[in-house]
Amino acid sequence: MNKKMRLLAVPTLALGAIALAGSPALAADSSYSSTLGQLNGTTGTGSITVDVTGDQAAVKLQVSGLAETFMDGPYPHVQHVHGGAQGVCPTAADDANGDGIVSVTEGAGRYGDILTTLTTSGATTPAEGLNLELGGQGGSYTIDRTITLDDATKASLEAGTAVVVVHGLDPATAGVPEAVFASPSDLDPALPLGATSPALCGTLVKTQMAAMPSGGADTGVATQSSNTAGMIALGGGLVLAAAAGGVFVVRRNAANNA
Amino acid sequence: MLAASEPVTLSVPSIDVRTDLLSLGLRENRTLEVPPGEPGSPAGWYNQSPTPGERGPSVMLGHVNATDGGDGVFAGLRQLGAGDRIEVSRKDGSTAVFEFQRGETYMKNDFPPLEVYGNTAGSELRLITCDGYNPETGEFDDNYVVYATLVN
Repeated sequence: MNKKMRLLAVPTLALGAIALAGSPALAADSSYSSTLGQLNGTTGTGSITVDVTGDQAAVKLQVSGLAETFMDGPYPHVQHVHGGAQGVCPTAADDANGDGIVSVTEGAGRYGDILTTLTTSGATTPAEGLNLELGGQGGSYTIDRTITLDDATKASLEAGTAVVVVHGLDPATAGVPEAVFASPSDLDPALPLGATSPALCGTLVKTQMAAMPSGGADTGVATQSSNTAGMIALGGGLVLAAAAGGVFVVRRNAANNA
Repeated sequence: MLAASEPVTLSVPSIDVRTDLLSLGLRENRTLEVPPGEPGSPAGWYNQSPTPGERGPSVMLGHVNATDGGDGVFAGLRQLGAGDRIEVSRKDGSTAVFEFQRGETYMKNDFPPLEVYGNTAGSELRLITCDGYNPETGEFDDNYVVYATLVN
């Protein structure tokens, strides 16, 4: 049966190649990425890729290990693309008032103003910068969406000065007294300083890859099951396909997408 | 490092692999296209990655198995070890020679894109195949990635 299947598979290989050639090859104008660094005692990690095509940007931000809860609910982490300044992240040396936390204001000389808010849905304007409901919720989350870039954000990306900042410190690791963490935020006095201060930061750098693939590769051929009945079903599918010359039967039974 | 030139064939003498290379793009959902699954299918080069020999990570994809249950072109990747050479012939007639550095297994649902696809200081190669066959689903849960660096 094995040999028979090989013989029958020959015409389907050609059909597979045609199907492949017909599938769309999407190419972004440019891709940018950053592995985010830690600020203010943060122990979590994050990375982001941004694929720009015209004024559309496919954004994929993944963070994990940030502070998880805030006032008995999921901790809201807002995040932005900043720009128009030095295009770098602040360091502890930028803590101008010496309170132990580099605030948003203290870091702004390095990374500039908010150009785009990386919300989980809806508007992405600077006006949404402190919209906690549209921030990431909890300690680990992914934002995977396509947004429209304004001219300032696009220019900053191209100039290499766009910086991604994820906000919201963990009181357990921030390394400051509770009174400092809870002191009024420089952005909104109704919020604690620790909740708005930068936790993760990274400059978006143009990637050598023209378009960043999403995730791994389906380089295993799905077999319907490992038992004999499955193999017979697969063989039957190939016989049908060869007789009818139909690629759809083959693709359903031997889906090339493990 | 070499100037840009698209790859034509890939050979890995230590595991007896020699294959033409398809030119593969991205699907609508931005995941990588893969070669056909039939026996004897070639490997492919991701055409939005740097060409092999240019600065950056050049990405090659090959199946671990085939629709007949036999081996795919990259079935032997796990046997690669320190010092093994990987050669890529290119359209301009030159050959880019890479040396195996390490192999990593990643769960597909926890794949680190920037580690695999992110910028590199020199010219590097990534050979990607599947691993972690799950007999209950008939699918492969992992990717196996070979990291190699340009020798010449």
